[in-house]
Amino acid sequence: MPSERTSRLAAFAVVSVLLFVMLLGRLWQMQVLQGNRFRQLSEENRLRDLRMPAPRGILYDRKGRPLVTNRAAFTVSLLPMELRRPKLVLPRLAAILDMPLAEIQLRLEQARLRPFEPVRLLRDAPKRVVAMVEENRLDLPGVIIEVEPVRHYLYGSLAAHALGYLGEIDAAELASPAWEGYRMGDLIGKGGVERTYDRELRGHDGRLRVEVDARGRALGILGRDPAHPGKSLVLTIDLDIQRAAEAALGEMAGAVVVLDARSGEVLAIASHPAFDPNAFAAGISPRAWARLATDRGLPLLSRAVDSTYEPGSVFKVVTAAAALARGTATRATRVTCNGIFRLGGWVFRDLKVHGTVDFVEGVAQSCNVFFWTLGTRTGGDAMAEMARALGLGERTGIDLPSESPGLIPDSAWKQRTQGEPWYPGDDANMAIGQGWVNVTPLQVARMIAAVGNGGTLVRPHLVRRVLGADGGPSRSIPVPPAGSVAFRPDVLATLQEALAAVVERGTGRGVAIPGLKVAGKTGSAENPRGQPHAWFAAYAPAGDPRVAVAVLVEHGRRGGLVAAPIAKAVLQAAFGPGAVPQAREGVP
Amino acid sequence: MRRVLRGLDVPLLVATVLLVAFGLVALASAAVPLGGPWAYVRTRLVHLALAAGAMVAAALVDYRRLAGLSLVLYAGMLVLLVAVLLFGVTRLGAQRWIPLGPLGGFQPSELAKIVIILTLARSLSTPNLPSTLPRLLPLLGHVGLPVVLILRQPDVGSAMVLVAIMLGMLFLAGVRLRLLAGLGGLGLMAAPFLWSVLRDYQRQRLLVFLDPGIDPLGAGYALNQAKIAVGSGQVWGKGVFAGTQNLLRFIPEQHTDFIFTVIGEEMGFVGGVLLLLLFMVWVWRALRIAYTAADRLGMLIAGGIATMTVFHVFVNMGMTVGLMPITGIPLPFISYGGSSLLTMGVATGLLLGVGARRRKILL
Repeated sequence: MPSERTSRLAAFAVVSVLLFVMLLGRLWQMQVLQGNRFRQLSEENRLRDLRMPAPRGILYDRKGRPLVTNRAAFTVSLLPMELRRPKLVLPRLAAILDMPLAEIQLRLEQARLRPFEPVRLLRDAPKRVVAMVEENRLDLPGVIIEVEPVRHYLYGSLAAHALGYLGEIDAAELASPAWEGYRMGDLIGKGGVERTYDRELRGHDGRLRVEVDARGRALGILGRDPAHPGKSLVLTIDLDIQRAAEAALGEMAGAVVVLDARSGEVLAIASHPAFDPNAFAAGISPRAWARLATDRGLPLLSRAVDSTYEPGSVFKVVTAAAALARGTATRATRVTCNGIFRLGGWVFRDLKVHGTVDFVEGVAQSCNVFFWTLGTRTGGDAMAEMARALGLGERTGIDLPSESPGLIPDSAWKQRTQGEPWYPGDDANMAIGQGWVNVTPLQVARMIAAVGNGGTLVRPHLVRRVLGADGGPSRSIPVPPAGSVAFRPDVLATLQEALAAVVERGTGRGVAIPGLKVAGKTGSAENPRGQPHAWFAAYAPAGDPRVAVAVLVEHGRRGGLVAAPIAKAVLQAAFGPGAVPQAREGVP
Repeated sequence: MRRVLRGLDVPLLVATVLLVAFGLVALASAAVPLGGPWAYVRTRLVHLALAAGAMVAAALVDYRRLAGLSLVLYAGMLVLLVAVLLFGVTRLGAQRWIPLGPLGGFQPSELAKIVIILTLARSLSTPNLPSTLPRLLPLLGHVGLPVVLILRQPDVGSAMVLVAIMLGMLFLAGVRLRLLAGLGGLGLMAAPFLWSVLRDYQRQRLLVFLDPGIDPLGAGYALNQAKIAVGSGQVWGKGVFAGTQNLLRFIPEQHTDFIFTVIGEEMGFVGGVLLLLLFMVWVWRALRIAYTAADRLGMLIAGGIATMTVFHVFVNMGMTVGLMPITGIPLPFISYGGSSLLTMGVATGLLLGVGARRRKILL
């Protein structure tokens, strides 16, 4: 019996020692071998980085009047680390936020790698929602309310396409090198100046590193990295002119571009129909987005820069300039218009019989027979060359995220794309801005400015100055001209005389403003989509132009009747009583 | 009295005192975030006085006379186990405590461990041991009845302790190994049934033990945080009262079942080794007392106590380091809890008593 006792006790002792050694080995493994890793985990455990969002830079008009600011708003966020019983909490939260459960789960899933950072669920939450979250605080572990600035567009849809709007960075942008350094959930400019100057505007979010207990209650501040507000921008836009342009455009679909004829500063840029960027400021709902994106009026499209149109008769500026420059026409050229132009076996019909017109009258009355004659004499390639010299058919380089180049056809282009040679009929079509010619209103404004200012092709731009954050030094943005057209003085003089005649006694009489010498050109562009587009391009004061304007009204029929009055309203706002001619003063 | 003093097992007593001291330091630290270092230590000192008294009493009373009261002890235990189900206080989702005013509550399941050791030792000390499975049935019923009552609370940890005590004592009593193997087979067959009896949170704990990665914010939370605490202690620990996991309350039940995380975090590998060495000395003395015991009864009582202690230490520390699933059983002498300390006091007293009445040959 004692021997049995001994052996069993010995076996028991061996098993006990083995168990203790197992524990010892495990402690060695965890504390000595993997100790560093666990130490690091315990450090991360007790830290939380709280966001201190940097307010985005303010956008001012050229006279220092704010156009876009920020307002404080509540954001409902979720701390993944502190979420308990998600099956219970998430549906409850979805009901309060009126948000699909799947959407919340998706956002949580996307943030899986950063369990200590709040995941934004609803920006700019309504007061009712904030109150409900606060009331149910105990039943919503991990749900927090943050105060974040939300973008505020003071004038709603005013200049919406130029100012742009905000949205959360998407997967494609995150992957692109252009957006390096940005993170999931960041609000970025999705259009307009907001996008082009995003890096200036956004500033640096601050971080507050706090020590927290297991329930996430802050115990003390361990570190502070203050938020650096974004830099504010002084835009070239003049609020008064912008408002006048939009008011004059009214409910008509179209665009108005107003440039400083010498510097290329954009004084106003309007496009209608428009949208209210405030709707995007806190993240737009999918339904509202779908409504905007599928609207047949295309409110998201900037008609001033992203859309191209047949220029119609405003292209006659190019035809006239090319003919004068080539010597195929002079100030003294006379053409008899009996309403018909014969070319080979083809007959082109004008709207009107103008009788015998000289160069200035031909431009002033926009006589098609006159320009068909000039065009066939000058040739498509020469017209195309002049068009390009005046900046048509190419991007202007304006500081906006997107811009259409438009199209100036020539014989090589036609051969390449149509597989056909350039016919004299193409000359005739091109001479009056039809055929394949396609331009943006912005290009037309720049073209007319170049004629008015003596040949400088300006580079349109929207930002005058970048203001230093926190009152630091501001800097201007250097804008070199895009190019110049070497007009002979006699060519320029004839051209300017003719354009002045358009307003004095021609098709653009509707623009005439007492005391202000305006020169310009009307246009009614045939197009396959409906009634002709109405155009008007002008600069003033003639001789020393400070302002150039281009107006397009989609399917407005008559440039002189529909587009010209809009240009007149704009010019009155720019030069009228109380409106100081905008030279280089007026910086805030 | 003199006899007990003369035959006193000094190493056992020293190990016990050191363990208790160790526990007081750990408890003071664990209590800092729960209301200051003294929050639990004060009550602990009262518990210690009671436990010390119980130890002295258990050492002085002859264990043979105590075992003679088997029937009374067993019946009393059953009454208390039923009473706790009827009148007990519910804490943390389990009905385990009989309220005792300022002393907190009393857990009859703790007392059951001692009673089972004494009564089993008495049954197994007869010369004719059960040699077949059917003959083992009365013994199984003897342990099974309190086990079922304790599972009703529910307290899976304590029920498992009783089963472990039974197996250990059957082994030490010399029951044929084949019979023990058959018992093991029976247990395996019962496993699916046991799984179905488990509550959801218990199943979840087992699943999390198998794969701690699942649900790191839910059931896996305690385990993950416990491992982080222990591992981050590294070799020398973060210093007493300086464990961030402890102070910032990342560990649930840091003063009771998870108190080893405080030791691991604040005293490091060195502290853990010291603690394990003290337990090894304690168990070594218990086994030595079993070896030198004057009779089978004394040997089995000491062996049962050794089994109970080894099981407690291994399961409790094992769960904080991910070797065992999470089961709520305390770390002897260290975890806060009056009933557990009282049990260990009685156990130590019984060991001292058995040791003092050892075989004459060795005297």
